[in-house]
Amino acid sequence: MFVREMGLSARFGLYLLACLTLMAADSRYDALGKVRAGFNAVIHPAQQVIVWPFDFLRDAGSFFTVHSELRQERDQLLQERSLLRARLQEYQALAAENARLHILAGLPPAPGLTRVPAEIIRASQDPFARKVIVNRGSLHGVVAGRPVIDEAGLIGQVTQVFPASAEVTLLTDRNQSAPVQATRNGMRILVSGMGNDSLLEVRYLDLHADLKPGDILVTSGLDGVYPPGLPVARVLEIQLPRHNPFARAICQPLAGIGQHRHVVILMPEARS
Amino acid sequence: MNGKSAAPSKPLIPQGEQLARPATRTMVFGSLAVAFLLTVLPWPQAALWLVPDFALLVLIYWNINAPRLAALGVAFTLGLVMDAAHGLLFGLHALSYCVATFVVLMLRRRLDFFTVKGQALHLAPIFPLQEALVLLLGLAYGQAQIDWRYLAAGLVTAALWVPACFVLDRLSGRPTRLDKVRSG
Repeated sequence: MFVREMGLSARFGLYLLACLTLMAADSRYDALGKVRAGFNAVIHPAQQVIVWPFDFLRDAGSFFTVHSELRQERDQLLQERSLLRARLQEYQALAAENARLHILAGLPPAPGLTRVPAEIIRASQDPFARKVIVNRGSLHGVVAGRPVIDEAGLIGQVTQVFPASAEVTLLTDRNQSAPVQATRNGMRILVSGMGNDSLLEVRYLDLHADLKPGDILVTSGLDGVYPPGLPVARVLEIQLPRHNPFARAICQPLAGIGQHRHVVILMPEARS
Repeated sequence: MNGKSAAPSKPLIPQGEQLARPATRTMVFGSLAVAFLLTVLPWPQAALWLVPDFALLVLIYWNINAPRLAALGVAFTLGLVMDAAHGLLFGLHALSYCVATFVVLMLRRRLDFFTVKGQALHLAPIFPLQEALVLLLGLAYGQAQIDWRYLAAGLVTAALWVPACFVLDRLSGRPTRLDKVRSG
């Protein structure tokens, strides 16, 4: 006649169990990727709507810049453009020569890259990782795993893709590493994040390795994720070992991690 | 003579304006949605660890004032939405919100006897502990790097209890209880 409601503690226990199951399913089996993408597709437009007035205010502030400033900036940009065009000619000649040499040596041609420009829309409020969200997603052809750069060097890697946005894990995240090469002597090492916005580290460095402060590290392209030659970091100091057999090198990322709004996602060129 | 005895100076049950209107579904879910959106605003990156959890604040307010509408189920759902929005493991926030709600529901009868300030003292530990629970669960589920500064967000949330109560009391047409001591 009277249906008894379940007690508070019993309901609490059931919810706890549900949460723990969900967490296990998510962390062990990665079972909820689709759900997450769907969720994000719903939340993303709402977030865009809330951000809109803030963006508008920021843009409104920049509306009232002085005319002379604009002219100055335009002149600077024109100058920069002509410089870049001149360098592009050089680059095109080099690329053509490189392709010919590849053919002569019987090597497969190096894969081309297309560049997808993206804008960082917000940082992720995640106490466990250094991540940002950019405004390009699977609708724009972005796939997980692709490298993200800015004008100075490597920033990180796309880790999750949603329909209209993507999550980029920064190189400074503790779980991120990139295979690099010192430009001075071609030594191959791994550089990893420290969980600090302005520093990277080489964790296990041979005690007698020939690495000096000031060396520039670029990606070696060995992992198949990062194309070779992207600037990554400059070595700041080498720390000699105290309690373990390995030295450690502290590096400074060359890209402005956490400074820029505009980044570029590198995508493999579609082959016909 | 009998006029004096017939007119009690203070009614036993609050009357008229004093009588709290029951919280409506729209009120509860509307305020929760607004609080959620506040939490996921694009806050500046340098201050992310200080952003208080407005959603938890409002959730606990309704746990106390409208437990029929906002109890464990709402806490669970809100937590899942929060996890999705922050890109965390599904269930991290859901679990911690459920624990917070459970504690508040257990404390609820007792909280009725206190003013908002007294309630604030009772609830203050819950917010940092909720943050700590999220971080510890992350640790348990194999996250290598934990930004312990996020505990500060819990403290900020705790400090916001009194103003949040004031605003929500106003919105829901409840008499403000800031300076009224109930005799129980």
